[in-house]
Amino acid sequence: MDFTFTDDQQLFCESVRDFLQAEVTPESVREGWDSASGRNETLWQQLVEMGLTGMLVPESHGGMGMSELDFVLLAQECGRVALPEPLVETALVAVPLLANLAEKDPRCASLLEKIAAGETRVAIGHAANNLVSDAHIADWLLLPKGDQVHLLASDQVGLTAQQSIDPSRRLFSVEWHGDDETRLASGAEGVSLLAASLNRGALGAAAQLLGLAEAMVEMTVRYTEERHQFGRPVGANQALKHLMANCAVKSEFAKAPLYRAAYTLSESPSHADFAVSHAKVAAGEAALLAAKNCIQAHGAMGYTWECNLHIFMKRAWALDKFWGHAGFHKNRLHQWLMNPNAKIGADKTFGVQG
Amino acid sequence: MKLSFSPEDEAFRREVADWLKENLRGEFEQLKFRGGPGDEHMFAEERQRWEQKLAEGGWTCVGWPKEHGGRGCSIEQQVIFHEEYARAGAPGRVGHIGEGLAGPTIIAFGSEAQQKKYLPGILAGTELWCQGYSEPGAGSDLANVKTRARFDEAKGKWILNGQKVWTSLAQESDYCFVIARTDPESKGHKGLGFFLVSMHQPGIEVRGIQQITGTSEFNEVFFDDAECDAEDIVGQPGDGWKVAMGLLGFERGVSTLGQQMQFQNELNEIVRIAKENGAAQNPAIRQRIAQAHTELKIMRYNSMRMLSGQSGSDGSLQKEALIYKLFWATWHRSLGELAMDVLGPESQILEAAPYELSRLQSMYLFVRSDTIYGGTNEIQRNIIAERGLGMPREPRPA
Repeated sequence: MDFTFTDDQQLFCESVRDFLQAEVTPESVREGWDSASGRNETLWQQLVEMGLTGMLVPESHGGMGMSELDFVLLAQECGRVALPEPLVETALVAVPLLANLAEKDPRCASLLEKIAAGETRVAIGHAANNLVSDAHIADWLLLPKGDQVHLLASDQVGLTAQQSIDPSRRLFSVEWHGDDETRLASGAEGVSLLAASLNRGALGAAAQLLGLAEAMVEMTVRYTEERHQFGRPVGANQALKHLMANCAVKSEFAKAPLYRAAYTLSESPSHADFAVSHAKVAAGEAALLAAKNCIQAHGAMGYTWECNLHIFMKRAWALDKFWGHAGFHKNRLHQWLMNPNAKIGADKTFGVQG
Repeated sequence: MKLSFSPEDEAFRREVADWLKENLRGEFEQLKFRGGPGDEHMFAEERQRWEQKLAEGGWTCVGWPKEHGGRGCSIEQQVIFHEEYARAGAPGRVGHIGEGLAGPTIIAFGSEAQQKKYLPGILAGTELWCQGYSEPGAGSDLANVKTRARFDEAKGKWILNGQKVWTSLAQESDYCFVIARTDPESKGHKGLGFFLVSMHQPGIEVRGIQQITGTSEFNEVFFDDAECDAEDIVGQPGDGWKVAMGLLGFERGVSTLGQQMQFQNELNEIVRIAKENGAAQNPAIRQRIAQAHTELKIMRYNSMRMLSGQSGSDGSLQKEALIYKLFWATWHRSLGELAMDVLGPESQILEAAPYELSRLQSMYLFVRSDTIYGGTNEIQRNIIAERGLGMPREPRPA
């Protein structure tokens, strides 16, 4: 048993973290709020050059052939800087779906190569979300209809922008009509692909939520050192220390289920529902508590548009409701727990779903 | 104990309801359910006209004594007035700082001249007030105010310099009550004065603070040689803290009744949506709705109990009053979370670009500040523990 990441995984994560911390700042995020597309093509190409869009693209299609477990720490870093670019949904959700179909469908194989090379952008819809994020910059869209998965070109769909509570997010309702040509999968295959997409989307959201939670606590701890009342830093007060300590406990304890979910999704993707739901619930709780306690510890400043805290709070509120909200995931958990075949005995710490 | 209203009170209830039904229409129809938390900036002009409409009917300052122009309503009648006001969906009151805070303070601590000068404008709904307490360095540590008031003998006026912050409605207001330091050598709560200051003068500049809602209900107010007439200090120089604390008593008194009715309207809206979108089928949501309901009733009952026992009108705080801010603010913040969970994924989608929030989204974002302004939860807990329970005080630097 080894519940740690390898040196390679950690080193790669550190280099991605350094890059993101340098390139994605509160100022650059705010610039995106006021631009039409809200996206930065130069930054995207830099992410491509680091191999990030192709992390989960098989090596035979020009990628790195890595797994969800290799990507989870990077998704956490994306959350830590509140990255507006749809790297997580592209690399962790759209790519594996295409990879599953690449053998039988040359369109998917070709898209994988182009995603890894930064030549094409693909957005992905799911019934859990209603809306599709970043559809406006996508050349292709993966869209669900019942048990079917379709692939449509951007000129085959109609987009209506929907304003998100998070000014960084770009959400769209998509109007489209699929046919035999656009259909990639259906029936049992379609159901299984869509279920896997939901799990990967939820894992990516959970990892980002955890990164957001840690970023909020870090900036708040800094603020409570700087802000003085009653002649001393406000952070000297036990009440504020406790607020932050509670966040730290939640975040730290959300890591284990998150990494466990990434592992199970890599090793045994069709039996990962319970692990992913656990991760999404735990990370969502950590992020929402951080949002609540950090604005409190900031006092009135935290409530202003000028303070950077709301960049992270609003992303947390949005992602908590995306790829299945807490109620949805708790339902999945209890349905699994009540299943007579559930592997939940004393000897089943790492048991997977029956 | 008698937990019911008398036939006379019920007649009063009908009178209020009839008047509102008769008058909350036409140009005022659009104001229904507007101007609440997170929506305070909306329809400012129309709501001031509504304030004047209320005044015509004698429905402003209903709890003020008759000798000061109020309606002299009993506690029961004030309760009824607020209930009917909310039930009719009448809008958030732009005059509430004058009616609920400035007026009662001037009645309790002000001179006869101040009462003559300021009360009529509040009663008529023609003059609006804002509150100049917090400063960049004086939030939780309110006694740390740095704004200075110097008496200019030649002009015969007080001259104010400094900055206030988080001032609601400053851009709409005609007057501001300001705590400022009259003794430059003083520290803490000593050496402060309580001033009634006109907002219409060159020495005052108001700048909006954009909030996470994208709107600007709060403001910074800069005093640069702002003037205040010699007779517009309440009490003596040095009395400022006493007056300000008395005012806090009003903030936690009858003015809470209207707030609870606003809460009731919000909870009703959440229940309506939960039934409509199916969230009410979810047992976890149902339990939280029941919890919210029971806690709102607790607040309501506690207010009635507190008000029943209140003797005298010096604004002194009773023990029950100490717990109220913590309770309502925390409750309201949770209500925001419940609202978002009832809405589900839809909660993250706004009404329109750019950043136009729905009523419940506004509420959700705005209530993040409830546990902060007017004394943070942390400060409230210290007050409960130290003043309510007599526990040892937090260490404070000398």
